[in-house]
Amino acid sequence: MNTKLKVSEISKIYPGCIANDKVSLEFGSGKIYALLGENGAGKSTLVKILSGVVKPDEGEVFLNDESIKLNSPLDAKKNNIGMVFQHFNLFETLSVFENLSIDSDKKDEDLRVLVNDILKKYNFKIDLDIPVLNLSAGQKQKVEIIRCLIRNPKVLIMDEPTSVLTEQETDDLFISLKQFSKDGILIIYITHKLKEVLSLCDEVAVMRKGKVVSVSSTIDEKIESLANKMVGENLNTIKKKINNLKNNEEILKISNLNFKSDDPYETNLNNLNFSLKKGECLGIAGISGNGQNELFQILSGEIITEGTSIMFRNKEIGKLNPRERREYLMAFSPEDRISQAAVPELKIYENVALNNFKSSNFFEKGLINENKIKEHSKKILSNFSVNTDNVELKSQFLSGGNLQKLIIGRELITSPELLVCFNPTWGLDVGAINYIHETLIQINEQGKSSILISTDNDELLKLSDRICVIYKGKLSKIMNANTVTAEKLGILMGGGSID
Amino acid sequence: MIKIEKRNDVSRSIYLLTPVLAIFLTLFGGGIIFYILGFNPIEALKFFFITPISDLYGLSELLVKATPLCLIAIGLSFCFKSNNWNIGAEGQLIFGGIVGGGVALLLYNHNGFYVLPIIILSGAIGGMIFAIIPAILKTFFNTNEILVSLMLVYVAKLLLDYLVVGPWSNPEGFNFPETRQFSESARMPILFDGLRIHSGIFITLITVFLSWLILYKTYLGFQIKVSGLSLKTAKYAGYKGKTMIIIVFMISGACAGLAGVGEITGPIGQLHRNISPDYGFTAIIVAFLGRLNPVGIIFASLIVALTYLGAETAQIFLQVPKYTGQVFQGMILFFLLGSDYLLFFKIKFLGLKKNEL
Repeated sequence: MNTKLKVSEISKIYPGCIANDKVSLEFGSGKIYALLGENGAGKSTLVKILSGVVKPDEGEVFLNDESIKLNSPLDAKKNNIGMVFQHFNLFETLSVFENLSIDSDKKDEDLRVLVNDILKKYNFKIDLDIPVLNLSAGQKQKVEIIRCLIRNPKVLIMDEPTSVLTEQETDDLFISLKQFSKDGILIIYITHKLKEVLSLCDEVAVMRKGKVVSVSSTIDEKIESLANKMVGENLNTIKKKINNLKNNEEILKISNLNFKSDDPYETNLNNLNFSLKKGECLGIAGISGNGQNELFQILSGEIITEGTSIMFRNKEIGKLNPRERREYLMAFSPEDRISQAAVPELKIYENVALNNFKSSNFFEKGLINENKIKEHSKKILSNFSVNTDNVELKSQFLSGGNLQKLIIGRELITSPELLVCFNPTWGLDVGAINYIHETLIQINEQGKSSILISTDNDELLKLSDRICVIYKGKLSKIMNANTVTAEKLGILMGGGSID
Repeated sequence: MIKIEKRNDVSRSIYLLTPVLAIFLTLFGGGIIFYILGFNPIEALKFFFITPISDLYGLSELLVKATPLCLIAIGLSFCFKSNNWNIGAEGQLIFGGIVGGGVALLLYNHNGFYVLPIIILSGAIGGMIFAIIPAILKTFFNTNEILVSLMLVYVAKLLLDYLVVGPWSNPEGFNFPETRQFSESARMPILFDGLRIHSGIFITLITVFLSWLILYKTYLGFQIKVSGLSLKTAKYAGYKGKTMIIIVFMISGACAGLAGVGEITGPIGQLHRNISPDYGFTAIIVAFLGRLNPVGIIFASLIVALTYLGAETAQIFLQVPKYTGQVFQGMILFFLLGSDYLLFFKIKFLGLKKNEL
């Protein structure tokens, strides 16, 4: 059985962003293809188009030289395209077999024979009659794979399948995938992990900013060359901030910080150690989902840790909640500005009141001091050039850039000693990005410190004094920003090592 | 093909008007039901909604019924606004009644101004304690407060049953399942001779005012609002989520307990098996019909109270079972939820495309 899959001139435009820009690729059975790229490179959009979840604006998909229409996931199934998403779609309280039979039109007896055959053939060990919630992440993924195999897929697409797996489970998965490939199934493997590409795949297509930038055989590639293609080589030219640290006073020290989560979709943090000086910006790079979220929440106090693991201005603050940490002059700008840093349904001044100090007197004797808050909000709106002076406006009517200015303004107007921000400019237009960047540089010049957790390498190289990379919950060594190149970052972000 | 989309901007005035629309739809739906049952719909609706309040006694009865409904619904609004689903107000009402009634029996031989306040206070504390159970289980053991609070209703009911049949039953009561009548000083003062309306209504009105103050003018109210809109934001702002869950349950339980004690010291005057015609459950409808807003809840409680009265009149004049009242309450909730859905989402009918067949 020979399968050829071809996408031709696929384009998909979302408001303000070109997700796929005339993407053309060809795949043939018997090989494992990697689709490699950073977050937002357009991999997921392409995969969603192939699985019928998203319709392209332009372009066609051909299966064995025949143009196929993929208007819904059902169409993808009919065309024998199977898909395993990063997040599982299983009913936790139903048994494995019930999960499989929901999706199948076969009789239960026939299905059981078929499933048992698959289990035997690929040496999967899963009890069909226990509820899915008792399975490990790797086993759940196998159930998803079996669900695809039942339908005799010609194409199997795996979307970042190893993000929830342990090392051992990853090895098992690779063995299975190679076996499927031998049995004639065309496999498309979506990832941003460079090592996996080299150890598993035969061909690799690299995407960047919606475009396919290279297609090659993995034999011809090394980690370094792939990293360069993935992050782009033009980054070296970006001008870095001049590093003029006169002050050596240590303001924050993280020592032996560990975090273990019960949630398989969260990343465990493993023995993090770093410190931050006054007036310094520490950049933390990494591909999203490597522990940035957890690290931010630990720094902000949304996740409480041991007191001793975080020292801020010589005080143990690990056990303090975000409000208490603000009293010690910390400030936080989370990644999710729409539903975490601010509430869209609340008015501007109410959102300002979220960052509340004892000394700000927003709430006197438990009562809301509306005038005080409004006065303070007006100051933020004008000092941080937010495009309105109406503090009664609901914040859902602010553009992304103005909302982010409001949030940064709210956090900075109290002159905190440390600002922790997480992807402060995602989704913003160039003007707003520049404004935020200037503001972040400014606070360093005023001797205040910042931690910038970001997935945007340009931003990190532009703003940081020192940079490290977080990968699978571990930090790389911390490097001076002027010795860091895009290539080095790319290697570390993909799980490689340098030196 | 049908596509459902979220509406971005919902006008506030329409948001406040949809409950009125729901009430009209309920009247219309009720008319149809009466018609099918073979009554003249206009006449029947008149018996249901106008006759009961066409005299002073009827108006007084309306307030007697609205008093507990409003009180419980106000308490529930604290929970619902902060995303805590307390479904067990009926149980908290009964338990408040049990504690208040117990104290009333204990103070049977006492006379004095202090007797009633002690009873009322103990009723509120009783409701509060009963509401803390689901709150604590939720915060410390991650249980679902809907299930726990609901199931505790039956615990309270059975406890009341046991008490009025067993240890607390009236020694001179010929084994009827009821306690003795409370002493005069343990009763809510009647406002007008010959009418049942009692001073419990003042407790309700004061509670409404205090709730408005707390919800809209205090830090606690602000925290409740933020938590209800986004738990993530509340966490980020550093609000003590667990303490807040316990506080809103305590407020809610205290209100239900007050309602319970108001019933037994007011119109009932003793403990028996049926101290509440499901006020605790009906108040959930009142809370949502009033848009969780203290003033809205006052109006909503009057309207829902009318369905109780209407059901009684209809039973007498039309010989339909009094459960028609519940049918009307159900319809109000149904139409309210229905119109809310259409308010927040729009439904688009797209033509069938060939390749989708």
